[in-house]
Amino acid sequence: MAGQTDHSLSIFSAAEVEFIAEDEMIEIVPNIRMDALNLLCGDFGPFLPQIPCTVPLWLAVALKKRGKCSIRTPDWMSVEKLTQVLEAERESPREFQPLPFHYVEISRLLLDHAHDDIPEVYMVRSLIEDIRNVRFHKVESGLETISGRTHAVKLKNLSAMEVNVVRPFMARVLQAFYKHDSPEMVQQADTSASKRPQVVDRGPRVSLSCVTC
Amino acid sequence: MPGYYDISDILMEDEAVSVVFHVGANGVGLLDPGTETNSVEKGAKIDLPFWLAHELCRRRAVSITIPSCFGQKMKKDVQADAACVDLGTRYPYFYEFGCKLFPLVGDKSIGPFLRHTFANRYKEMLSKSHTASLNAIPKFVLRLSKEEYQLFEAARSSMVEFKKWRVRDLGLMKTTIVGHKRKTDLH
Repeated sequence: MAGQTDHSLSIFSAAEVEFIAEDEMIEIVPNIRMDALNLLCGDFGPFLPQIPCTVPLWLAVALKKRGKCSIRTPDWMSVEKLTQVLEAERESPREFQPLPFHYVEISRLLLDHAHDDIPEVYMVRSLIEDIRNVRFHKVESGLETISGRTHAVKLKNLSAMEVNVVRPFMARVLQAFYKHDSPEMVQQADTSASKRPQVVDRGPRVSLSCVTC
Repeated sequence: MPGYYDISDILMEDEAVSVVFHVGANGVGLLDPGTETNSVEKGAKIDLPFWLAHELCRRRAVSITIPSCFGQKMKKDVQADAACVDLGTRYPYFYEFGCKLFPLVGDKSIGPFLRHTFANRYKEMLSKSHTASLNAIPKFVLRLSKEEYQLFEAARSSMVEFKKWRVRDLGLMKTTIVGHKRKTDLH
């Protein structure tokens, strides 16, 4: 795992997240005839021309690079769906719209290798970029509200790559806040005559949802 | 908390603090430049490195006076604008030092003061650190203490790495992605 000097906060590199994303299943339409592939992760095929079948993304990209298939765009990657998602993202300032967990990686792989299979590819590309930007800015503005009392940050519907980008920063920030806060909270409770109720452990639930490893 | 072997901890403990001796000490006149005999008087005010002051304080041989970085002037500066206070050049170990000093000194307000400073600076730092690019170092980075700098570096490096991954195989298509400039971008 690509780690930093502080191993407790080691992150995946972007390429590693992409590798994990390549296990997602996707539909292809082969244009050759091939026997079934019996792999450890599953059995795929037999492949017959013009008959669609479902394979892992890595296999789809490999076949596509050799010109042996064409990839069928997943449903969520159509212009209408993406426009809907973008509108919804812009409207709700605190929530993230449900998107496939690996949408960034999948979209990047497809846009790179299969751009002739995607209808209106430039539109799709710019929509995905916009969605990503809006979501990331939401994450940032949500992070501003973390105070010392936050024990965990909940980020619902955030995708794998986005989580990976904010993970080291967020982990360190929470650690830093924890370090600054806990002994002093005890001290404060001694000196100031318990102005705050001692139900200390329920910090404000920041409603962004996250998976901190 | 970092331990015995941590370099930044060791460096941090080298900061000088001013102490007042409660007892006389023989044979350590080296510590006090103004003394004639080879010893330190009771009640003398001396500057010691923090690691020494810490140990002596535990044995109640000295009492530590609060250094200027946690004094009134600093508090006023922080209240005026926390993000502009220059911790990088003056007190790079501001937070760690404060945390270590806090149990030894009678002043209970240091803890909340540290937290308050950190919380204010953090807000400013947040958006800037993610959008900072690899080569240009924004000026405010020089004002960050060591701990804050690590946070900044973590955010920036993961963002930069993501961007590199994104344009990796594109070649000529890069321009379609580089995209809209937003006001928070510091390119």
